[in-house]
Amino acid sequence: MRIPQKVKKITDESKYNISFVVEEDIVFLKGKVETYEDWVDIGLKIGGIKGVNGVVNDIVWDERKDKASEDRKKRSKRSKKENLGEYDIVIIGGGIIGCSIARELSKYELDVALAEKEPDVSLGQTRANNGMVHPGIAPSKDTLKRRLNVRGNAMYGELSQELDVPFKRVGSLILITPRTMEKYRKYLPGPLYRFFLKHVLPWFVKRRGEMNGLEGIEILKGEEVFQEESGIVDDVISAVKIPSTGIVDPYEWTIAMYENAKKNDVDFYLNTEVLAFDKERGLIKRVFTDRGVLKCGHVINAAGLYSDVIAEMAGTKEFTIHPRKGVELLFNKRLEDRVHHCLAELKIPSHPTSKGGGINPTVHGNIIWGPTAEEVESKSETSVDKEEIHEIMQKYSTILPQFPESEFIRYFAGVRAASFTEDFIIRPAKKVKNLLHVAAIQSPGLASAPAIAEYSVELLKDMGVDLRRDESFDGERKSMDRVSEMSEDELKRRIEEDPSWGNIVCTCEMVSEAEIVEAIERDAESFDAIKRRTRAGMGECQESYCLLRIAEVISRELDMPLNQVKKEWKESQFFDGIVRGEEP
Amino acid sequence: MKDVVVIGGGPSGLAAASSIAEKGYKVVILERDDELGGLLQQCIHDGFGTILFDESLSGPEFADRFIEKVMRSDVPIELETYVKSVDKKDDHFELLTVTPEGVHKIKSRSIVYAIGCREKNRFEIKIGGTRPAGVYTAGTVQRLVNLYGVLPGKNPVIVGGGDVGLIVARHLYLEGVDSLFMVYPEDFFSGLPRNAQQCILDFDIPYRNRTTVKRILGDKKVEGVELVEVDEEWEMIPGTEEIYECDSLILSVGLIPYSEKIEDLGAEIDEETKGPVVNEYYGTTVDGVFSVGNLVQIFDYVDDAVKTAYIVAEGVDKFLKGIDVKRKKPIKLVPGDKIDTVTPQRIFYEEGEEVTVFFRPGVEKENAVVCLVNLGNVIKTYRKRYLRPSTLEEIKVPKDLFNGKKEVTIRVR
Repeated sequence: MRIPQKVKKITDESKYNISFVVEEDIVFLKGKVETYEDWVDIGLKIGGIKGVNGVVNDIVWDERKDKASEDRKKRSKRSKKENLGEYDIVIIGGGIIGCSIARELSKYELDVALAEKEPDVSLGQTRANNGMVHPGIAPSKDTLKRRLNVRGNAMYGELSQELDVPFKRVGSLILITPRTMEKYRKYLPGPLYRFFLKHVLPWFVKRRGEMNGLEGIEILKGEEVFQEESGIVDDVISAVKIPSTGIVDPYEWTIAMYENAKKNDVDFYLNTEVLAFDKERGLIKRVFTDRGVLKCGHVINAAGLYSDVIAEMAGTKEFTIHPRKGVELLFNKRLEDRVHHCLAELKIPSHPTSKGGGINPTVHGNIIWGPTAEEVESKSETSVDKEEIHEIMQKYSTILPQFPESEFIRYFAGVRAASFTEDFIIRPAKKVKNLLHVAAIQSPGLASAPAIAEYSVELLKDMGVDLRRDESFDGERKSMDRVSEMSEDELKRRIEEDPSWGNIVCTCEMVSEAEIVEAIERDAESFDAIKRRTRAGMGECQESYCLLRIAEVISRELDMPLNQVKKEWKESQFFDGIVRGEEP
Repeated sequence: MKDVVVIGGGPSGLAAASSIAEKGYKVVILERDDELGGLLQQCIHDGFGTILFDESLSGPEFADRFIEKVMRSDVPIELETYVKSVDKKDDHFELLTVTPEGVHKIKSRSIVYAIGCREKNRFEIKIGGTRPAGVYTAGTVQRLVNLYGVLPGKNPVIVGGGDVGLIVARHLYLEGVDSLFMVYPEDFFSGLPRNAQQCILDFDIPYRNRTTVKRILGDKKVEGVELVEVDEEWEMIPGTEEIYECDSLILSVGLIPYSEKIEDLGAEIDEETKGPVVNEYYGTTVDGVFSVGNLVQIFDYVDDAVKTAYIVAEGVDKFLKGIDVKRKKPIKLVPGDKIDTVTPQRIFYEEGEEVTVFFRPGVEKENAVVCLVNLGNVIKTYRKRYLRPSTLEEIKVPKDLFNGKKEVTIRVR
């Protein structure tokens, strides 16, 4: 059956009246449904058809108000005429993908600019990533995800050296327990179920990993599992150990990419939102932003959650992003010794759209549980409710029954940029020949990022970009110095030079005033930007001790009154007003 | 080699240091802030000292009494000092400190932890919603308003009707916020009745009982909160949610002892107080490590917290002198029916006249009888006119009562 027939079969089965067009293997949907769930559901069904290269879901659900796009239209009138410069490549989006591509391109003799609407890099879905560098066992064999994940994972070791960012190949354990195939238990009576879980299923998992190109996979049985991870639930039957799984701090990685790209002459335009494109003969010539105009040779759409908006803005609508929220629980560092690998319980059938999260160590010693996977209507829906916290606590305490699951110090959520085809969309735009989509990068986007950057540059070459090595490229980046990691002698020497190294402003994470100042020198202008660079405020007390102390340093260094210090955005000033009788 | 290092220069630490120094020991005080006095420095309201000095002082005034005493003694004070690590050696401890002057090693035969408590934050009480700017603990707001002259917002909501919440509410009202609203989950303010009267009722500040904040609204800055009514168990009642617009949220939802560091040293922690388990002289379960003040448990009055500092001086003295009249197995003092917490949790020494025992009732009760019970037998009773969970109670227990017993339970009849 060809694609249109398959799509027709699905729309015919639907209780709604849905019309569609298929063009270059992209399905354009129109119609009306009653609920958001139905909107997602039909998109996913059609995205699941083999050979479909994109789903543009223009179905209206209920009285869906497209407020965001109205706002954008209003804002587009605010684009500034001022000329910001002429570039060979303009990258849209400063998440891990945009920044990784920027650094990759800085190896060549190209003028590159990156536009990011937020005041810092890594503020989109990158920020809420749990830091797991997946091995590449989950994606199906024929996907782009699979290839880039395996390749990206392998690149992490060397890159982390160059960028001076901690990366640990901790390995992961896929746990097989009596709950793994609960649903199929009835077909495997008596001892057969257990036999299957102990001797057959691990072999299948291992085989899948090997087919995907992974090496060194081991099968652990009974006692062997506890030797690797002592806190695991007693009734675990077997486990598959994948040695290549790693962990990294997602925003530290992104900031490192940003800093190194900047050092190699990429121009970063932060607080710069792309509002429109100026096209000639089907090619983008100029990118309009709220800060000015970027002339361009080629454009890369790495706008994450908003990559479908950028595509539409460029006149080449070919996919729709449906936001999928993930909630995570972060635990006290004191529990570091409780978890050594990335842990997940295998469930068959699996969640159709997510690997279902797990329990991970972080490079800083916290333990992190999650993420959940929930389709949400808004791309900025990152709230967390009590029910979601309890859902995570319940789900993962079955893996680690002794773990004090109430000792979390924070919860947060991020939104994944999922497409209906559930694969990455990395290809030249269909209707704009100088635009490259690097879109729909959800999990395992972090693991794949270095390979995505490499692949994007290959595609640019095919699109006619002249790639000549820049001999002056310097890939080395030095991380911030941290008092918490310094030897006694080194710290003594530093304090002698500058006493502020000995002024500890965040006592939970042991961060000195000097580090706050260095973060500000490295472009951090808000409390949260400093937090991401120094870890100040990330400990047990969650900012209650250090907030004012750091705000005071920001106020002094950036020469602004204390009540203008921002948490993150210009709209997120911490304090408002001064006490009665005090002069402003 | 020092005899004693006191970590923390708040009232309890200061009192402990000067009492110990009076006995002729070499003491040093380490304080992370750039001034002594601890949390009292930001408490510019009065009401401190009514028990100890029989007068009503402001926080800084109360602190000054202790600061002056330490200043008059020859106890060295190390400010802006961060204790990076504490290692237990055979007969002493080795501390590594970081200060703007450098990195120092301090050797000491014993340590008194007086590092107090911290405020619970929104994550610890699972408030849902977003994570925008504008959510603060009451202590941060006190510091902001009193030390920096800056307001947290123009229209704050305060959660918590305890003393800290009440006092911060009055401050914000007087310092010029446009509007103010307080919610708390109890039937009536849990703070002292005089504070409820003088801070909220006298100013007609609007409030609502049996209410808490379910969710925080606003992506970048607080735009409002979703309030919800709660039942007697503080469980949210579905269907009673209501949006209230505000620009900041101030949490005064409880304090929690800073017990991480002492737990790392191996000290046993009491699940109920969240502070270290201590004996009648405030020694922890690690020999040579003592704990006083709000680190032991949350006291309602700083006056009571300071009492522990006087008692610890005796304990440090005994430890340093090697006086060994310890019981082979300490007697456990445990909270029983209608009692939430008891300190001290262990009776360690045989000699001595009486023990000051603090307990927090789990119920509100008039004309209550508090019983000490051993193996089912009531061995002593105390009459209390009025008990309530938000008021810490004190009793004096004769020491000989503990002889020959393994465990004594304290309960309300």
